[in-house]
Amino acid sequence: MKNFYTSQYKKDIKKKISHNYLPDQFKDSEQILKKIKILIKNCDFTLGKDVTLLEENFKKLTKTKYAFGVGSGTDAMFLSLRALDLNKGDEVITTSFTFYATVGAIVTAGGRPVFVDIGDDLNIDPNLIEKKITKKTKAILLVHWAGKVCDMDKILKISKKYKIPIIEDACHAIGANYKSKPAGSFGLSGCFSFHPLKNLNAWGDGGVICTNNKSFAEKIYLLRNHGLVSRNVCKLFGYNSRLDSIQAIVANFIIKNRLNNITKKRILNSKFLDNELNKIKEIELPIRSKAPSKEVFHLYHVFCKKQKQLVAYLNKKGIDAKIHYPIPVHKQPAAKNFVHKNMGLVNTDKQVRRIISLPVHEYIKNKDLIFIVDAIKNFYNYERKIRKS
Amino acid sequence: MNVKFVNLKRQYQQDKSEILKSIDNVSKKGDFILGNTLEKFEQRFSSFCDTKYSIGLNSGSDALFLYLKSLNLNKEDEIIIPSLSFVATAWAAGNSGAKLVYCDVGEDMNIDPIKLENCITKKTKVIIPVHLTGRVCDMKKIKHICDKYKIILLEDSAQAFGAKYYKKMAGSFGDVAAFSLHPLKILNVIGDGGILTTNKKKIANKIKLLRNHGLKNQDSILWGYNSRLDNIQAAVGNVKLNKIKKRIKLNQKFASIYNSELSNYLITPKVYEYEEPVFHRYIVHIDKNYRTKFKNFLLKNKIETRINYGIPLHLQKSSGYLEYKKGSLPVSEKLSKTMLSLPLYPELNINEIEFIVKKIKSYFK
Repeated sequence: MKNFYTSQYKKDIKKKISHNYLPDQFKDSEQILKKIKILIKNCDFTLGKDVTLLEENFKKLTKTKYAFGVGSGTDAMFLSLRALDLNKGDEVITTSFTFYATVGAIVTAGGRPVFVDIGDDLNIDPNLIEKKITKKTKAILLVHWAGKVCDMDKILKISKKYKIPIIEDACHAIGANYKSKPAGSFGLSGCFSFHPLKNLNAWGDGGVICTNNKSFAEKIYLLRNHGLVSRNVCKLFGYNSRLDSIQAIVANFIIKNRLNNITKKRILNSKFLDNELNKIKEIELPIRSKAPSKEVFHLYHVFCKKQKQLVAYLNKKGIDAKIHYPIPVHKQPAAKNFVHKNMGLVNTDKQVRRIISLPVHEYIKNKDLIFIVDAIKNFYNYERKIRKS
Repeated sequence: MNVKFVNLKRQYQQDKSEILKSIDNVSKKGDFILGNTLEKFEQRFSSFCDTKYSIGLNSGSDALFLYLKSLNLNKEDEIIIPSLSFVATAWAAGNSGAKLVYCDVGEDMNIDPIKLENCITKKTKVIIPVHLTGRVCDMKKIKHICDKYKIILLEDSAQAFGAKYYKKMAGSFGDVAAFSLHPLKILNVIGDGGILTTNKKKIANKIKLLRNHGLKNQDSILWGYNSRLDNIQAAVGNVKLNKIKKRIKLNQKFASIYNSELSNYLITPKVYEYEEPVFHRYIVHIDKNYRTKFKNFLLKNKIETRINYGIPLHLQKSSGYLEYKKGSLPVSEKLSKTMLSLPLYPELNINEIEFIVKKIKSYFK
């Protein structure tokens, strides 16, 4: 089921109720283009004042001391892990129920991923982490999946007890919090993405690293810009991973004018679907955040029966239902060196066969939601009828 | 008159409305990642550079880095790079997993083919000649060495888009070449961007995987990175490609004026009849004891200059672990003390070039 690639997203746009809202969002971009016009006039293309403003915005949004614009969310994780100077064999704990980039960042930074199973909230199960800690564990890379922050009280205790730093893959979780503390502010590093289909998006790839740790911040500062202290002096071998000014302009615009509304609307749409879909026998809801914690529904998941048939049925109805993602990372060909028997990823394997994602973005209207609910009801009514006859 | 060392504003003033329109086209479609705009740019880039495949990446450094990563080198393997370049060449090689070996340069500031052969060991896997300042290295000799020892030839063409050597384009000599589209490059975009070119399909396919999370259809078949040239940047690149021939010609014209007017006073870059450099930088050499004085004199006359490679790579702090000492690569050390970059870019006007020439001549009177 090819349903989550850039190319596929582009085709799915033709669906009536799509995950892709970009043409709606940017059909009139006069205000952004005005700012880009100024950028082109000033030619402040690399690490300029727009990037500084974006970094200031992020410090406020996440209540952290330092923020650095980088090339992408993937790079945010890669550079954070690189800053830990992993040696061969060093382990990083994470979940297999994630986008490949999370694990890709671990491997390309020189680490070995160690997978912990997820709970019924689709995030790492904190009770299973300690069992996987060894002398070689150098970091815990938490994924705040779909925009729900992990169970931080328990995880922070473990991090403290074993002195293992936490890196947060908060790419889905801008605006989310756990007991009022923002996603991205718990660990050594909070990693965010501005990929065009994220809640806070730009017009291409971009990302941010947030931290409260001064020496870590200094290292990230060097790593993203060739390790350069000044134009001619190179302190360490770094990378080139800078957020483009033009992407910072778009992200700043969204933060100022749209982000609150985007988050609110996603939460509202999700609450509506939660209420309605909960009435259907074949549908089960993942465990949601309880106030004062807040999840932002970058993806809206429910558990369902007859997953593939339901997705196909909804697609036929013009509803862009997807599975994020049908094959967990540990079952990917790239993971073959990290897989062994009895990994204990029981819930991961179970839930990928039950999840379905439905569009809840800000351009989804109430009538679209009703249409979705009705379609799902129809599907199961029909299924029940067939079974009876 | 006030002559800046770089003047992007002037460059972009000319193309502003075209660029804005091209950006608007991309944003209206909401098509930002890996789309038609990028493919079109890649195809045009390939046909300009006489290579079969072009792959748009996040930066020129990433082009070097991703290719070196794709080779799965280990720490026994060696990569040879010149000791005079921008640091990106060094970090890409240094972070690839292999051992970094620096080779001294010749008086032309490019890797010295004779010294290069002496650097080769059984462990040498890759040679990265850097076409510094937009002038192609002595590729006949270097290619011969690579063929003889069966070593991979990766051209760092970051500064050399459009440069020729025996009528052949920079980037078309080796197995792979890395180009940069950084705003200060002759072909540029409005942020970071890079292109990897190759004639080998296998390499092209591997880099396409590495730039996009290792994704092939629905499978993650290897661990990759995220290093995609944004469609927005590709759109700007397409606008810029329309003007590139003219810009290169202007650079060459100004350089030839400098050469004929200044060679009695300064060591100017020699241009042989078989080469067509694009002059990403125009670097002259002056007695090291007078360089600061000369630079200050020009500054007082409102002419900005720069020392682009003032510390050779082997003496950078980041190379400390390799234990090179002062004096180990003498030519690059000498040149780093005598070099000075004069302003040279297509947006300069002839009055400014004449002004610079006049002031320099007056210094030596």
